[in-house]
Amino acid sequence: MSTGAQIPDDEALAGEYVLGVLPLAERRRVEERMTRDSDFAALVASWQADLSNLDEAYQPETPHKGVKARIDARLFAEAARPAGGLWGSLVFWRGLALASVAAAAAFGIYTSDLRGPSGTGPAPSLVAELGAPGSSVGLIAALNPEEGAFTITPAAFSPDDGKSLELWLVPGDGVPVSLGLVPGDGGQLKLDKDLVRKVSDGALLAVSVEPLGGSPTGVATGPVVLSGALTKK
Amino acid sequence: MSQELLSGLIARTALGDRKAFSALYDQTNAKLFGVALRILKDRAQAEDAIQEVYVRIWRRAGSFRVDQASAMAWLVTIARNQAIDLIRSRQPATLEYDDAPDVADASPDPEAQALMSGEARRIDRCLGELEENKAAAVVAAYVEGLSYQELADRNAVPLNTMRTWLRRSLIKLRECLNR
Repeated sequence: MSTGAQIPDDEALAGEYVLGVLPLAERRRVEERMTRDSDFAALVASWQADLSNLDEAYQPETPHKGVKARIDARLFAEAARPAGGLWGSLVFWRGLALASVAAAAAFGIYTSDLRGPSGTGPAPSLVAELGAPGSSVGLIAALNPEEGAFTITPAAFSPDDGKSLELWLVPGDGVPVSLGLVPGDGGQLKLDKDLVRKVSDGALLAVSVEPLGGSPTGVATGPVVLSGALTKK
Repeated sequence: MSQELLSGLIARTALGDRKAFSALYDQTNAKLFGVALRILKDRAQAEDAIQEVYVRIWRRAGSFRVDQASAMAWLVTIARNQAIDLIRSRQPATLEYDDAPDVADASPDPEAQALMSGEARRIDRCLGELEENKAAAVVAAYVEGLSYQELADRNAVPLNTMRTWLRRSLIKLRECLNR
């Protein structure tokens, strides 16, 4: 193949991958490379963004009604559905590796005056506006990376008596981590510095309703009432 | 449904909210089934594929990034990848080039280039800068999930020629998209 320099070569390979023309073995090689070469992964992402404009060509078609039931059976069959319409996520949370649960506890909130990460240079502030579909913003969380703290501004949401609101981060690895209880009248939530590193642009924040004092298990047990993504301020 | 609402449903799905996952399914299954059906051209296979797609969506919802992709584009990418992996798994795992000599490029087609001017979207404008058969190959590969062999057959050129054409077209396309 004489397509010239290395960069156009990678550009073409990333494009071939997104088009889907490559044989299976080459697709797997490209995916493996994406996991260890972030520059290359960025080329793939930009092809995906550009070519997704062609998605309009796909006409909606209705699948058989039984498909959703089969999906639910695969994902949730072994879960006993909690009574009272509670959050049906036990399988998901149970599925987390024990290690990640331990990590959630270890990276948990510190109300003491821990310093944020030092020597990492100024990072941009990140802000998430958390809401529910069809309602206004319920809470604003702004991260100050130098302080290693979230400033929480509750707007229009308070839990029922005897309940607490717990804030969760869903970082890039997809494993939710508790950031602590939402202070009732706002204020600061200090984060452990390892946790600050997990907070990135585009990561998701969510608030669940928990028993007073927070989830007893280290994973969310109640319904998710608010969510939103962190974006650069 | 707006991208913002879809993003919210994906965010809740990432937290294990089954009601949000069901709502996400209701809002998107027709589109994603349309994707799988267009590529696999068989309803039963496409139904199997979207089962796998929604299992992946449930498991990977936490990796969705609002700053990197629109919610629907992210979902369609998962559906396309699943459908393409399925058809590729039934084809040779590597490209088997024949010994046929390369076929020379046809001369540029000014008509095709003029066709796509004006207010068209960037991707359409840039596809319009390619020769007509090259642009058609890019679109058919993406939308229908054609393999290199199928593209070569359709264009009646050897496999290695097809690959050279398509790679050159991609590089031209990227130059235009970056402009």
